[in-house]
Amino acid sequence: MIEFMDVSKTYGNGTQALRNINLKVDKGEFVFIVGSSGAGKSTFLKLIMCEEFPNSGEIIVNGRKLSTVKRRDIPYVRRTMGIVFQDFRLIDKMTVYDNVAFAMHVVGAAPREIRKRVPYILNLVGLKEKAGCHPNELSGGEQQRVGLARALVNNPSMIIADEPTGNIDPALSFEIVGLLSEINRRGTTILMVTHEHRLVKHFRRRVIEIHDGEIVADSCNISVPEGAHENQ
Amino acid sequence: MKISSAKYLIKEGVRNIWINRMMSFASIGVLVSCLLLTGAAILFSLNINTAMQKLEQDNSVTVYMKDGLPTLKSIQVGEEIKKLDNVESCEFVPKAEALESIMKSMGDDGTIFNSLVGSENPLNDVFKVSLADLSKYKETAKQIGSLDGVYKVRDYSDIAAKLTSLDRLVTTAGFWIVLILSLVSLFIISNTIRVTMFSRRLEISVMKSVGATDGFVRLPFMVEGIIIGVFSGVLSSGLLALAYNKILQNITNIVPFFHPIGLGSIFAMIVLCFILAGALFGAVGGGISIGKYLRREGGDFIGW
Repeated sequence: MIEFMDVSKTYGNGTQALRNINLKVDKGEFVFIVGSSGAGKSTFLKLIMCEEFPNSGEIIVNGRKLSTVKRRDIPYVRRTMGIVFQDFRLIDKMTVYDNVAFAMHVVGAAPREIRKRVPYILNLVGLKEKAGCHPNELSGGEQQRVGLARALVNNPSMIIADEPTGNIDPALSFEIVGLLSEINRRGTTILMVTHEHRLVKHFRRRVIEIHDGEIVADSCNISVPEGAHENQ
Repeated sequence: MKISSAKYLIKEGVRNIWINRMMSFASIGVLVSCLLLTGAAILFSLNINTAMQKLEQDNSVTVYMKDGLPTLKSIQVGEEIKKLDNVESCEFVPKAEALESIMKSMGDDGTIFNSLVGSENPLNDVFKVSLADLSKYKETAKQIGSLDGVYKVRDYSDIAAKLTSLDRLVTTAGFWIVLILSLVSLFIISNTIRVTMFSRRLEISVMKSVGATDGFVRLPFMVEGIIIGVFSGVLSSGLLALAYNKILQNITNIVPFFHPIGLGSIFAMIVLCFILAGALFGAVGGGISIGKYLRREGGDFIGW
């Protein structure tokens, strides 16, 4: 699914964000990426999303070498992924329904398909009743569920969650990660960046720790879901 | 691009104009000024060219007789003109007839010249002389001018030279004014679009994160620019038609012998050109802004 081979990234200002990263994430895995601020977690996600490119090494996503992807094809690579942001990134003037439908408009989905798919996804994240609300009428947890619905609506094979619980109540964090686990159970690969050790401990999934641009630990926290580590 | 996507993006473009109406209004104002000036310069030039063509087609010279010259003497000069080789015809227009003709062409307003009828008539007796061979134009005009009793020979080359220099002046000034205003229009349109773009940075980042192509992100902004341009084109051609017709009415009242071109024959072309020019300006202005943005920071969404 995702493979990093000797990947290094240094920014134009000389900051070395990642050093010789080697890792493999298989289809259907749930991986927590942990590390302190500035450790290189965001760069790691940016490289997967083709927002940045490595200075050396190779990244393979869904069997495709990202170094061979042309600029005009990047949007199509991104369509295989759904992203959840820490700050939700919901458009205030749009309703919950429109925020989710927006992601489908972007990929050119037919209106009939949008009308069918959006209520289904909103039901999946438990927000069917709030379809007509605007984001400012929702709690933080609900807003993040809208963000998750938007990431899921185009049926991506992988969800990338960039500190999705960073802006919500600790109690609601478990709810969000629970939802991600449920999505993962249905076959979607999840890559979640987090600072919250409570969550990592509680959900017992594979954990990759990045420190100063290097992977310093890659293990299952307590118990390993079957098959999750076979390809390490 | 699918039809449903195109519909959605066009709707977005229209919505942006309304949300950002003050800047849109400013863009339309500048673009209308630019197109109006361009149109005015074109119409002016067309009128001058038509007038020159008319003059060139008219192979005659107007011979003014000296002030106070007895009509009998004038007729004698006319006989001498007729004897010249290159003269085909020579028509005498007495000053009384010329004044009457002017008064007639002015309709009711012509009565203001009533006091000039008779001995107070300031006009000269005139001969309208047609030439057989235009290549000997200058030579014949010189021969006529040398005849006793002739005050002045006016040929079209004098007027043509003046018209040409006026046309050149208007064309040059018009070119620079239009060029500067075009750049100002582009600048204002691209800034209008940029304001919209910054207010929609969140949407753009979300679009990019879910896999929008640059074309998809760009289209609503270009639609916004094109709508501003098309609207300016329609408005400016309407205003130009109104202003031109108003000026025509006044000019033909003041200068009855001036025959400006009618707008009817070229109006459709003006509207089409204005709309196309407006749409092009709008699309380029919108394209510049969003292109620049997408190349720089528009692709960032993680850690944005």
